[in-house]
Amino acid sequence: MEEFIVNIIHRPEMVPEYAEKVTGHGKAEDIGRKALLTESLDIFKTQQEAAHINGLKTTIQMTYASLFNDEAVELAKEHHEKYGDEISLTLLGLPCEEFRAKYKTKDFCIWMFDMETKKSIVDDVFGKFYERFGFYPESTGSYYMDADLTNYIKEKYPSVKCAVATCWEEGPKAYHTCNNSWYTLMDGGPWAPWIPSKQNTHAPAANEAEDSGIVAIPHLSRDLIACYDGNGSNFGTHPQNVLRGMIYKAGEFDAEGNYSGQEYPYLYNLIDQYRYQAKFNNGYAYNMMFVGPGWMNKMGRWEAPYELLRQSYFDGCAYYGQLKKEGKLKDMTMAEFADYYRQKKSYTEPECALWRDILYGSDKQLFWYCDPFMRACVNMNQGGAIVDLRPYVSKLEWKVGIGTDHVQEAGYPFLIQEKYRAGYFTHYAGEGTVRSAKLCYNGEEVDLCQCRTHAHFEEANGERKLILDPVDIEFYDLTVKLQTVIAFPEGGSDIRIERHILEMSNPDAEVSINEYMVACYGITEYPEDMTCITLNAAKDGKNEELQYAYKCRECNVEGADEVSALIPPIHTKVSMTCDNAATGYYREGYAFSPMFTLGYTGAIKDKEVFSTWLKLEKAN
Amino acid sequence: MAQAGKGKLNYRCPSCFLRDLDIDMFYDKDKKEYYCIRCQYTGSEEDVQEKNQLARFRYRSMLKRYSMEDFEKFED
Ligand SMILES: [Zn+2]
Repeated sequence: MEEFIVNIIHRPEMVPEYAEKVTGHGKAEDIGRKALLTESLDIFKTQQEAAHINGLKTTIQMTYASLFNDEAVELAKEHHEKYGDEISLTLLGLPCEEFRAKYKTKDFCIWMFDMETKKSIVDDVFGKFYERFGFYPESTGSYYMDADLTNYIKEKYPSVKCAVATCWEEGPKAYHTCNNSWYTLMDGGPWAPWIPSKQNTHAPAANEAEDSGIVAIPHLSRDLIACYDGNGSNFGTHPQNVLRGMIYKAGEFDAEGNYSGQEYPYLYNLIDQYRYQAKFNNGYAYNMMFVGPGWMNKMGRWEAPYELLRQSYFDGCAYYGQLKKEGKLKDMTMAEFADYYRQKKSYTEPECALWRDILYGSDKQLFWYCDPFMRACVNMNQGGAIVDLRPYVSKLEWKVGIGTDHVQEAGYPFLIQEKYRAGYFTHYAGEGTVRSAKLCYNGEEVDLCQCRTHAHFEEANGERKLILDPVDIEFYDLTVKLQTVIAFPEGGSDIRIERHILEMSNPDAEVSINEYMVACYGITEYPEDMTCITLNAAKDGKNEELQYAYKCRECNVEGADEVSALIPPIHTKVSMTCDNAATGYYREGYAFSPMFTLGYTGAIKDKEVFSTWLKLEKAN
Repeated sequence: MAQAGKGKLNYRCPSCFLRDLDIDMFYDKDKKEYYCIRCQYTGSEEDVQEKNQLARFRYRSMLKRYSMEDFEKFED
């Protein structure tokens, strides 16, 4: 039985993030403006109505500001009684006169405060909530919840079992879209619910000892192709995101001022493709919709009049409502979902997504894999190359906020990222970061990144497997039919990549194969210091080590047991091993190509399989 | 010349939108035109709407409705 769960979350935000600056243009700032407060509460009521008339329950995330508003508090109690909505508490929406008077700052993102202030704010907000409702909430959240913050909340307010904890791939791209003014730098995390580790929110817990005690949900369910390349705020289960992306056909006003004729099938395609993911996750799929009131303000936004902003929200809720009526969806509160998730998932069960382009009219397909040891993206449009890799196994302790080394930067570091460190193609020097293979024959070379294909998913013998459609590699006088299989053993921190030669036009030919990984470490678009990295090729207990110095050196060891790179700043060791007789090698990069390469070269004939492993380990 | 204000619908710059930048434009009521404060785009309301329509060129499946059977179905 397949289950598709939705969490619909609303927050009465008395000073919406966009409203004061955008709709208040030409007025001096005044966050206590009566009109602003009234409008904000009206938007919340409208959102609640949209869910309830479609038979959906919500999670009402009270903001600090709304706890000072009697009407908002009464409304939450009434809707809890009448509709079964959960009364919850968000750490978004802090700004209000009371907050500014006490903390004397305009900061509003909880993870950016210094630790003592975080604790103080949490105590204030949770204390005020208790004062108004007589109990502590079971769920909370923000755009991002750093591990120290979550750990503090869980220790002090153990009733909390669920939290909105990150926005998928909201980082440098979202920052760029806002003309470098929106500091939510937090990419590299899971796209679907997970149990965060105590050490790092992005990295799921591998066991009870690492369990932070909460179930995390992402802020919105985002398009796993469009958001990876473009502005995250255009492509999510958030009807006004879709309007912001201009992904709709506008409607028209009639003589009476009614708006109709709008179309945004993309929103429904997005929801449905998430539903489809149940096929890869033991029958379970998930969606989250969370629209802040600023997106539905009376002034209109993103070229859309208020009527369209409002109608799109009702249409979104109507679609979830329709799925529910058809028995294809279960609406839950956040707390209910946490219980469901704990019962449904084990620590090591991965989250998998086989995702196709549903917007640009291409046949591009990606596979995303996430477990306590890694997050990986496989790109079928590049022959099954790994184009994004995050070593969760290192459970990197990464403090964020004022007073730490990372005031705003909350992302999880990558080893491979095809957008920030090129990918297969670069303008000048060698490859950017990617894990692929090259086939060579008589002086000709073809990279599998050049072979577009698709994949299907299998689960057997404790492994999730991607079986790619075979590709033809055409040399001048030889054609090779090759099939790639990529296996993710559950509970391991490694990936096995097999190349099967299905057919050769000359059955006696032998081609050489170069399985390689170009990597570095980083968190944004700009390069980091590589001199801390040690490269190594090991054989029979002997090591050929090299300290990275941008000198373009390389080392080849026939029959190497392992080639590896040790990357101290992210406490990670990454290595490759090979199941066939082959030569292991590493290459140092140089200043204009600040990467390193690990790989194996060998020979392969018709009907043979060449198999290599990529392994991630925590290294202190 | 008087100062500019925001237009009635917070039109963004269509040129910047195409490079993934959301920049609200300002409206110059004397010249009756919107202008971008980052790049060199200027245009009337009609021109903005027309260029926004052009900006959708990349969304080739914008109005296509996929069925559950389509998510692993490809042309080739
Ligand atoms: Zn511009």
